[in-house]
Amino acid sequence: MKNVTFCVIKGSSPLFYAGIAISIIFIALGLYSAYNMEHHGHIITGMNNQIVWGLPHVFAIFLILAASGVLNVASISSVFRKIFYHPLARLSALLAITLLIGGLCVLVLDLGRPDRLVVAMTNYNFKSIFAWNIFLYNGFLLVCILYLWFMMERRMQQYYPTVGLIAFVWRLILTTGTGSIFGFLIAREAYHTAIMPPLFIALSLSLGLAVFLIALLIDCRETRCSLGENILHRPKTLLGVFIAAVFYFVFVYHITHLYFTGRHGIEYFLLAGGGVFTVLFWFGYIFLGTILPLLLLYHERFTHSRSSIAFASVLTLIGGLSLLYVIIIGGQAYPLEIFPGMEVTSSAFFDGASMHSYVPSIWEILLGISGIAIAALLTVIALRLLPFMPRSLADKDIDESLT
Amino acid sequence: MANKHYAMVIDLNTCVGCNACMAACAIENQTPVWKNEWRTYVHDTEIGDRDDQVRRRFFPRLCNHCDNPACMTVCPTGATHKLDNGIVLVNDERCMGCRACAMACPYDARYDVTYADIEEGTNFYGSLQRKHPSVDKCSFCAHLVAKGEKPACVKTCVGSARLFGDLNNPNDEVAKIVASGVAKSLLPHVGTRGNVYYISDLERTS
Repeated sequence: MKNVTFCVIKGSSPLFYAGIAISIIFIALGLYSAYNMEHHGHIITGMNNQIVWGLPHVFAIFLILAASGVLNVASISSVFRKIFYHPLARLSALLAITLLIGGLCVLVLDLGRPDRLVVAMTNYNFKSIFAWNIFLYNGFLLVCILYLWFMMERRMQQYYPTVGLIAFVWRLILTTGTGSIFGFLIAREAYHTAIMPPLFIALSLSLGLAVFLIALLIDCRETRCSLGENILHRPKTLLGVFIAAVFYFVFVYHITHLYFTGRHGIEYFLLAGGGVFTVLFWFGYIFLGTILPLLLLYHERFTHSRSSIAFASVLTLIGGLSLLYVIIIGGQAYPLEIFPGMEVTSSAFFDGASMHSYVPSIWEILLGISGIAIAALLTVIALRLLPFMPRSLADKDIDESLT
Repeated sequence: MANKHYAMVIDLNTCVGCNACMAACAIENQTPVWKNEWRTYVHDTEIGDRDDQVRRRFFPRLCNHCDNPACMTVCPTGATHKLDNGIVLVNDERCMGCRACAMACPYDARYDVTYADIEEGTNFYGSLQRKHPSVDKCSFCAHLVAKGEKPACVKTCVGSARLFGDLNNPNDEVAKIVASGVAKSLLPHVGTRGNVYYISDLERTS
């Protein structure tokens, strides 16, 4: 293989400074939101006793899934020995770390009381899938840091494939754990199904690759790194496969529910009568997040355009967010069936009677976006300080035997 | 001697919807009532087929203190725990407020107590026993039960609709009612095995 040299970004362009400034503003707003939400609780958010996990949780899961999936590029290089992807591995591992930190920040600031984080880190209930996930997330962070170190440090190169394999297996378990948070919940009809972990794994792969392609295109523009058509072609094709895989699992998820008469209610709610959830599913996920990206990636008219790849990646992210919103919040909006066999026509306590409404508050939106801002800021700083980006990704600089 | 196994039976025939249980519970446990959050509440519900005669029913609800509590299983820090006598409690010093229990509970029995609630509660109740926020729930008034008393809602119930007793004592009234099959727990198919039983008016035999 030809020697690949890596470089730092110059960090002198208006885009660089604008990106940093916008990220810092959103992080500050997110922290202020977290303070307010922690102090006042649900009452100032769109959440309530029925919808206990709101928009910040959607963002947190989105970032964690993307973190797990973005490592796929590095895994293909070190685990599946496709050396063609080797020049991209550093960026892949870096994004896995920064996205995970962004997601965990939102999770900690929304899902608990940060001042009592030490409680969560020192007391464990090992029956709890949440406790497992605390280990899985922290462990993933550690493994990714090691992975990155070993791939950048020449002396550690011999251990690089081993750590790569550990990281690959770890992230599969991590995404299984994240999916199991919902798969193990018996109380809500939309959850409680074994297909959640594979669905989340597929979703992580598509979200991660979409994030990677966007980051790659932006970074190449910033570093003026030549980007060959071949280096874009394979991930692009892979993204289409992952989008189709997510659709397959979503299809099986719904068809399984539709097979059970007892779950027709939740299916009708999500697919036909659920208002914003139905719109997000059909328009947000199916049309914007599945059909349109596949068209852009595979149709002869669009498939060679970089704008199409970038646009398809952005649409994949929008589709993923929409799907997570429908799963996480839509699943809670459908009321608990507390009185089976009875028809509850009214209730002063909003349970058992009607669908629960949820409108995210500005605090939740800001906290969620701050997670993306944290990931973006950390990525930009890391790219400025250490050589993660190849100096050239032009086709002529990539070994022809590998392309 | 076998451990006690506390349970509650609620007779829907004699619940008159006076909400005295809610008031007694709120005072005893200092719950954030100003934002309509209670450990126990009585909702008046219309139940019945549309073509049938619709009946208005008062339906007291609370934590079911399950034998197999879903909220305890998911709690990452072990803040939700179970006493040997079957009462499920929340250790507010260990609760980190992740609300996983609220997601897992099929009975919708959890609610969030925040720092703001502690400030408000101190003004509202004069002084507050609670020092930490948590995702709170009914405790079957474990502090009263430990002293040999009944939970506040049971003591105050006007129609004696709420009965509290030990399922492991065959002579206990609650144990007899449950053993007779007249009283049923909610969502038996979920497998949580709740310890709050209801006597429906349709199934009343005596």
